[in-house]
Amino acid sequence: MNQLPNHPASYRDPSGFIYTHQGVLYRQVNKLYKENFELFINSGCYQKLADDGLLIKHEQHDTNILNSEDWFTTLQPEKLNLVSYAYEWSFDMLKDAALLTLQVLKRALQFGLILKDATPYNIQWHNGQLMFIDTLSFEQYEEKPWIAYRQFCECFVAPLLIMYYTKRPLQQLMLAWPDGIPLDIAATMLPRKSRFSIHTYLHIHLHAKVSAKQKTASQGDSNKEVFAKSKLERLINSLEILVNKLQIPDLESTWSHYYREASQRDGYLEAKKDIINDWLSKLPEVKTVADLGANEGEFSKLAAAKNINTIAADFDAYCINNLYRHIKKNGVKNIQPLILDLSQPSPANGLNYAERSTFSQRLQVDMIFAFAVIHHLAIGKNIPLEKIADFFGGIAPYLLIEFVPKQDPKTQILLQHKKDIYPHYTEAGFLSAFEPLYNVEQKTIVPHSDRILFLLKRK
Amino acid sequence: MIASYLLYLDPGSGSYLVQILAAAALGVVFFFRNIKLYIMAFFSRFKKKPKNDSTTTSNTNS
Repeated sequence: MNQLPNHPASYRDPSGFIYTHQGVLYRQVNKLYKENFELFINSGCYQKLADDGLLIKHEQHDTNILNSEDWFTTLQPEKLNLVSYAYEWSFDMLKDAALLTLQVLKRALQFGLILKDATPYNIQWHNGQLMFIDTLSFEQYEEKPWIAYRQFCECFVAPLLIMYYTKRPLQQLMLAWPDGIPLDIAATMLPRKSRFSIHTYLHIHLHAKVSAKQKTASQGDSNKEVFAKSKLERLINSLEILVNKLQIPDLESTWSHYYREASQRDGYLEAKKDIINDWLSKLPEVKTVADLGANEGEFSKLAAAKNINTIAADFDAYCINNLYRHIKKNGVKNIQPLILDLSQPSPANGLNYAERSTFSQRLQVDMIFAFAVIHHLAIGKNIPLEKIADFFGGIAPYLLIEFVPKQDPKTQILLQHKKDIYPHYTEAGFLSAFEPLYNVEQKTIVPHSDRILFLLKRK
Repeated sequence: MIASYLLYLDPGSGSYLVQILAAAALGVVFFFRNIKLYIMAFFSRFKKKPKNDSTTTSNTNS
């Protein structure tokens, strides 16, 4: 029946779908959703949420672009730089996404609407903050329990609580369970003491227990019961108190003190910044950068200060969390923080491997920064230089890369307990791996070190 | 009334029941919490004089 070019992730909700037409992303609203959509717009809910920066803005077009029988109207939402997923977000980002969902829900209730789903996929990074993007998530409120309550608990509360109690960045759990961590599993992963928090007990432990019992018992008619608005507000209030309380300790990871240490290497960091600044100034065509191995984003901030939209990715969740806090505190609009392990970038997953695409498929930038990462990939992870060149070459036309030679103290640390099986890890070896793909535009030794900066342009 | 076929997400009947139970329990929790907040606010008045008029909105919105 439906031969339309939906985005592969846009099939669950019959209210509409997103698709790309002539390079522009649109959202079709189906006839089925007409009444709810009109209520959402006419009540002033959309305007209020959009004005308050909680919901992405859209333009409405009365054109049936796809000549669809189900068509009611067409929306053109503002363009996102890079779609990201909860397993790439730091603790504070997921926490803020949860609070944003509850805030949107509370506002919607004031307009007689409720959220019919509550997943992190409804939230994206836009203009320097997390923002609700699913315009079709709103439906008329009736005095019933919240349909998306379990989804909210599994997608937000469960991973946040597990990370809070274990004090570990376990974003990978959300990759294992992209639709939320099942409540019974979450309950067994949490320590016994978590039961003594009334909010955790109700939303996870009791929730898991009652759900398990209801599966075997005959279907009760609890869904027919009236659930007063005041009760729902109590529930939301409790979720908000619980999420607000969760903090990760300000732990210092291996890398979170990197710049403090690097800046003590007299003049090295400043000299490197001067070179990068100079090279970037000569490349006005570079409008977007992905800083891979960004640490706490020192060089991302440098690019951002030059009005370059920057994606700052690092595998260290603590560094990315610190960067997120910096962005939030200082209102930085053009840095997007992201957790990413370059040796195992986020895979494609979901139905037909098409719902969520790989990191490289999603990333479209003019330039990659790869500072002080090549020794980790080549020596730390045994990845041949040719494969590293292929990976970077597949992403962006420009590559600004730092070669960290074997004699560098940091490379020596990596080699300390390893056999040196890297005879090709030299400047010549680096060039023979990268030159088939790139032209060397600039090259210089960073003062106060043996490290070499290369500006490469794809052939 | 907007059609219920839009409920494309299965909430699980356990989730509906737990909301009813949780809302009841939270009614008690918030009742005592409000009393506690009221008492704390009452005694804090004696501790230090508020600088400006104290038509307090106790709820600090995030």
